[in-house]
Amino acid sequence: MIRRYGILNEQVKPGDLILYGIPYPGAYITDGDGIVVSKSFHGSYKIRDSPEALLDAALGRAHLDDVEIAAPQGDDEVRVQVALRGGRGTIRQGIVRHAFARFELADGLHLYGEPVPKGMIATQVEISGPPGLVVHDPVAPPTETLQIGSMGVELQVWSGSFDIEIPFHAVGELASECRPLDQDAVPIQVTVRYQACDDETCLLPKTETFRFDVPLDVVDIPKLGMHLGHGQREGNFDAQPHLERLLKRKFKESPLGFVRHLFLAARLNLAAKLRALRGEAKP
Amino acid sequence: MTIERDELGFDAPAPLGHPGRAGLPEGHPTGPEVGEKLPDFTLPDAFGKNVTLHEARAGRPAVVVFYRSAVW
Repeated sequence: MIRRYGILNEQVKPGDLILYGIPYPGAYITDGDGIVVSKSFHGSYKIRDSPEALLDAALGRAHLDDVEIAAPQGDDEVRVQVALRGGRGTIRQGIVRHAFARFELADGLHLYGEPVPKGMIATQVEISGPPGLVVHDPVAPPTETLQIGSMGVELQVWSGSFDIEIPFHAVGELASECRPLDQDAVPIQVTVRYQACDDETCLLPKTETFRFDVPLDVVDIPKLGMHLGHGQREGNFDAQPHLERLLKRKFKESPLGFVRHLFLAARLNLAAKLRALRGEAKP
Repeated sequence: MTIERDELGFDAPAPLGHPGRAGLPEGHPTGPEVGEKLPDFTLPDAFGKNVTLHEARAGRPAVVVFYRSAVW
C-alpha cells in the first residue's frame, strides 16, 4: 500500500533490514466521497500534525470551544479570541501547534488584508516566544474585494467571523525529547493588529497582546535499555518484548542483513561519539 | 545511542546520517493529490480485523495518517 501510494522512503535501502519499508510520514483528509480535500507532508519526519489539526482539517473549521489555552479581547464592534490549539495546550518537539486569532465583526464592519494603500492598516497576527520556537507562515481565508468608488481603489477585506492561523513548532533548543526539561512552561505572546472600517468610516487602529504560559509536554519514553537517560520520563510501556520479537524476525529473514545492520549502526554511532568528543552537533 | 541535533534543530536518539533520520527530499511526490480519490486498501486493524477504507468510511470523511514511531 505504501508503494501504491508512492510514498516509500527510498533513502532507506533494502539492505537496511530494520527500517526498510517505512513511508514518508504524512496525512490525507478526504471528504464523504473519499476525494482528497487536503494533505500534509513535511520536510522532516520530526514535524508532525496534531490530531486536533487533522480533525479540524476534516471538519472544515477549527473547534476552539474546548481548547485549554484561550483568551478573548475586543469590544462590541470587533471581538478577538486567541487560542492555542493542539496537544491539550502543551508544546513538544516537532508537533505543530496552531495559534488562532478568531475575529468576530459586527455587521457592516470589515478588516483589511494585504495589500493596503498607504495610511491604512492591514490585519496582522504575530507570535513570538523563546529561542527554539519555529513560526510558519500565517494561514488566512480568502479575502473579498471591496470597491471604494470615491477613492478609485480596490481593497481586500474580511467580514463576519474568520480565523487567521499561525502554525508553529518547537525544536530541540526549546523542547528536546532527549533530555529532561529544564523548564515547565514557556511564555508565548500573540500580537494582533487591525483596523475595522465600514463603507464610510474607520475605527481607530488597535493592537492587542495576548500572553500565555504554555506548559512543555513531558514525553514518555518506552522502557528500553538503549533509551535509558534519553528522555524526560520513563513510560509504562515495556518495549523490550516488542524489540526482541522484531530483532528475531529480522534475523530469521536474513542473518547476513541483520549483521550488516548492526555494523551500520555501530559505525554511525562511533562517528557520532567522535563528533561529540570534538564538540560538534551536540544538543 | 548518541543524541545529536540535526540541521533543522531536532534532537533524536539516532546519529546524524542514520537513514532513519532522512527527511522528505524537496519536490518528492507525496502520493495522491488533492482532488483525486484516495486509493482503496484493506489492512488489519489493531485487533486483526480487516478494514477496507472506503467501506469503513460509510460515506463519511476520513483522515488517513502515515505515522511513524508511535511509541519510540
